[in-house]
Amino acid sequence: MAMEDAKLELSRTEWTKQLLEYLGGERDEPPPAFPVLLSNWWFWGLWWGALSVLIFLFCGQSSKFIYIDF
Amino acid sequence: MIFNSWDYYLLFLFPSAILFRLASQRVRPWVIFFSGSLFFTYFSYTQLGGLVGAACLGIFLWECLVSRFYKPGYWICWAGIAQTVVFLIVFKYRNFLTDLWWPDPTHNPLYWKNSFLPLGISFFTFEFVHYAVDRYRNKTAPGSVSEYLSFILFFPTMVAGPIKRYEDFLPKLRSVSREWALDWQRGVTRILAGLAKKFVIADFLTAYTNHLDRADISHATRAVLPLWLLAYGIKIYVDFSAYSDIAIGSARLFGIQVPENFDWPYSRTNIADFWRHWHMSLTNWLIDYIYIPLGGSCVSAGRVYGNIIVTMLISGIWHGAGVNFIVWGLCHGVMLAIHRVFIRLYPTTQGTRPWWSISLAWLLTFVSVNLAWAFFCMDLHTAIFFFRRLLLG
Repeated sequence: MAMEDAKLELSRTEWTKQLLEYLGGERDEPPPAFPVLLSNWWFWGLWWGALSVLIFLFCGQSSKFIYIDF
Repeated sequence: MIFNSWDYYLLFLFPSAILFRLASQRVRPWVIFFSGSLFFTYFSYTQLGGLVGAACLGIFLWECLVSRFYKPGYWICWAGIAQTVVFLIVFKYRNFLTDLWWPDPTHNPLYWKNSFLPLGISFFTFEFVHYAVDRYRNKTAPGSVSEYLSFILFFPTMVAGPIKRYEDFLPKLRSVSREWALDWQRGVTRILAGLAKKFVIADFLTAYTNHLDRADISHATRAVLPLWLLAYGIKIYVDFSAYSDIAIGSARLFGIQVPENFDWPYSRTNIADFWRHWHMSLTNWLIDYIYIPLGGSCVSAGRVYGNIIVTMLISGIWHGAGVNFIVWGLCHGVMLAIHRVFIRLYPTTQGTRPWWSISLAWLLTFVSVNLAWAFFCMDLHTAIFFFRRLLLG
């Protein structure tokens, strides 16, 4: 309920943006009412694990970064 | 490869970041200098110009030597800017410029057959020019030799930015964040998120963007052409923002926060707003060192439009040595000028606009930016052929 209220206060789009930025390491603060803090090592361990699995599954098709050529 | 190679993480990033954290404040700039020099030499030798490429480390050392003579209002600053631009022209535009005079390379006496780009030349050029101009204007402190070397050889941002500012970097170098746990938690998360974006989305889209060549365009059905271009538009955003994520995350492991490069650019509802949120460190550099010195917005309306177009033209030329990049820059310059005319004629505020107007503005911006990518990812003839097929069949 608290999370729903926070979403309404911020606008759903802005809240989702902040959540993605938090999960992506860009923001240090979670969006309002998001229950996972930086100190929750279980969550972040699982999140790093999930990202690592994705990376290992897809790394076979790796190509150069576009801007390296500039 | 670099950011998506094990060498980067195991040989350079993790050892250097840990050593940097453990070192005393006096030694830290030298840690960055030595690790940056090794990084440049290793990747230049293995991936770019071999021994000659690695020897380009001398450019940094020469720049550092010259920069020690920079003083406010002193002509040496202009000499420094000139030599930096000459380096860029020699390495990046020599064949392009001489081809204009001698189109056949076999008859071009100045043609450089095995030409290569020193690692990160397009980006370190910006930082060299910024320092020279700001020293001339007395807007930045000179710093010590080791501090300036660590600024120009800070390897997380050396290859493709984000473009740093000395007055922003120096205080962070002198007072490094002590929050190891927070910096490493956020830094590693950012690096992993960047790698996932690159491998899962950007590289997946390569299967579609590889079709943007003349042979495939001539055989494709018309309906698929905009989808390929859209795939490129998404790919370049995901790819470059992933790169920036890894660079910013890597810098964070050192306890140094560098500028952001992207802030949801594709959600913007006009072209000026798009550029304020796309490759932000470049846009800010162009505003400060090209647009404002040309007169910026403090001149007659006609000249303002000219300044905008010239600035974007230079941005296009910087992006690549090809006529297509010039056309891409011009397209954006003209779009920005048209937007400026429009907001002068129809001033409005975001809050007063109905939802359909905002949606339409978003769609127009998104489509315009993505159509312009055609000139970015294809040479001029192929891009024209693409539009001819798209519009005329």
